[in-house]
Amino acid sequence: MKFVGLKNYEALFKDLARGIEGKPFFLAPFSTGLKNILIYTAIIVPTQTALALILAVFANQRIRGTQFYKVAYFLPAVTSPVIISLIFIWLFMKNGYINYLIQFVAPGFAPDWINDKNYLLYAIALVAIWGTSGHFMVSFLAALQSIPREVYEAAMLDGAGPIRRFLYVTVPLLRPMVIYVVVMGLIGALQMFDLAWVMAGPSGGPGGAGYTMALDIYREAFVKLRPGVAAAKSLFLFVLIFTSTYIVQRRYGVKPV
Amino acid sequence: MNLKLDKVAWILLTYVVLTFFAFIYLSPFIRSLVASFMTWAQASAYPPEWIPKPFILDNYKRVLELDLFPRWILNTSIYAGLTVVGNIIFASMAGFAFARLRFPGRDALFTALLSLLMIPVFVTLVPNYIIIYKLGLIDNIYGLSLLSLASVSSVFLMRQYYLALPQEVFDAARLDGCSPLKSYIYIGIPLAKPALGAIAVYQFLAAWNAFLGPLIFLRSPENFTLPVGLSFAFQRSMWTEYTAIIAGSLIAAAPTILLFVALNKYLIRGVAVVAGKG
Repeated sequence: MKFVGLKNYEALFKDLARGIEGKPFFLAPFSTGLKNILIYTAIIVPTQTALALILAVFANQRIRGTQFYKVAYFLPAVTSPVIISLIFIWLFMKNGYINYLIQFVAPGFAPDWINDKNYLLYAIALVAIWGTSGHFMVSFLAALQSIPREVYEAAMLDGAGPIRRFLYVTVPLLRPMVIYVVVMGLIGALQMFDLAWVMAGPSGGPGGAGYTMALDIYREAFVKLRPGVAAAKSLFLFVLIFTSTYIVQRRYGVKPV
Repeated sequence: MNLKLDKVAWILLTYVVLTFFAFIYLSPFIRSLVASFMTWAQASAYPPEWIPKPFILDNYKRVLELDLFPRWILNTSIYAGLTVVGNIIFASMAGFAFARLRFPGRDALFTALLSLLMIPVFVTLVPNYIIIYKLGLIDNIYGLSLLSLASVSSVFLMRQYYLALPQEVFDAARLDGCSPLKSYIYIGIPLAKPALGAIAVYQFLAAWNAFLGPLIFLRSPENFTLPVGLSFAFQRSMWTEYTAIIAGSLIAAAPTILLFVALNKYLIRGVAVVAGKG
């Protein structure tokens, strides 16, 4: 082992600089991975949080069969992401099941999700939302069930309808759980690896459309055999995860961490 | 009257939304289960068909005919088994020590351990690789298992569990002359069965589904675990027809799905409890 000063970081920041200049994927793989993962995170974290919350609110009523719904929603979370990806590659084929379902909503819209560089990242994001929202729904449901009924009754007496009760009673009382779900979502999304590895392939798919920072760290360490640069990049990833989750907790958390 | 109608409409909407999403979450599973009994020609037909015709078992046969596949099942079982056993032993010991013993630096040590939870796996990847490499355990399922024998989350869970037990039980044992080791073996373990069960299930699921670790530390196809093996088989096109991959995926997912369906009440409650602490 030899001390090389900041040389490994130099490789990292040169890549970022090339990325900012708008150089293509093969010249700036790390920047591409960073850009992709930021888009991906910006899509999935809000969507899965909102979806999980809405489903939990619907399920938190005196209805039959809540356990069935919980099991159905939670099932993707206990299945290996690799297996989920393999199944979804098939479902996302041009003449596949998902395009078939889409025809009911948007006739004529049938992209070749996996092989089209404009859609690959969105396909991965859809799978991620499908895979994790059910898990978070269960967390929200547990938090909802701990809100005392009297609070809602008081709101009802004051004339608040279901939507207002949701916005002004449920959401504020659930804030700690929302923060928890957002933070866990951020941690998971920013280091996404398995889905991209299988759905986009180890080299990131067409034009690097499905390339992520985690894939780049893997390649750097085990394909290009530059463990030093890989370590520098992984520290960059750590700082990104740490600061983003810290900001969320600091700004929206009940008490500063 | 109007109010009652509103209520009925609301309940109806609830069922429609919940059932629609149950369909969204379940249909990939149902669709692949059905397709695994179809010929590829039928499984890739458009619009999708739902009844296998002819009903064939060739896909499963083709998966199991590949010599590697049973080996992958065996490897995954070894890995998951060792992970579960290791976590039960080490987490219960560490959790007991952190909760019930007094020694200098205990809380500092525990805080340090907890801070490990924040560090992404990618940061420790290269150092771990170097350690396993120097031990000569690359491409070895036991070398891989070595890394997962203890986990911070299990230790944390056990510590919380032991903290919640009444101190009097342990005081009584000490008065009767129990050494810390004896009180761990005769009181700590029997009382902690529910927590140990939870750890066993969670660690089993995590190890069975693990991808990044096995991908990096295993090199030759006969040493792969199921997730790595399946993605390898897919990328090398080892089966020309996709239905075989679907069948293989379903075999690989079956243990986790069955375990979850059998224990769904406990598992879902466990998630809720863990999340509530966060």
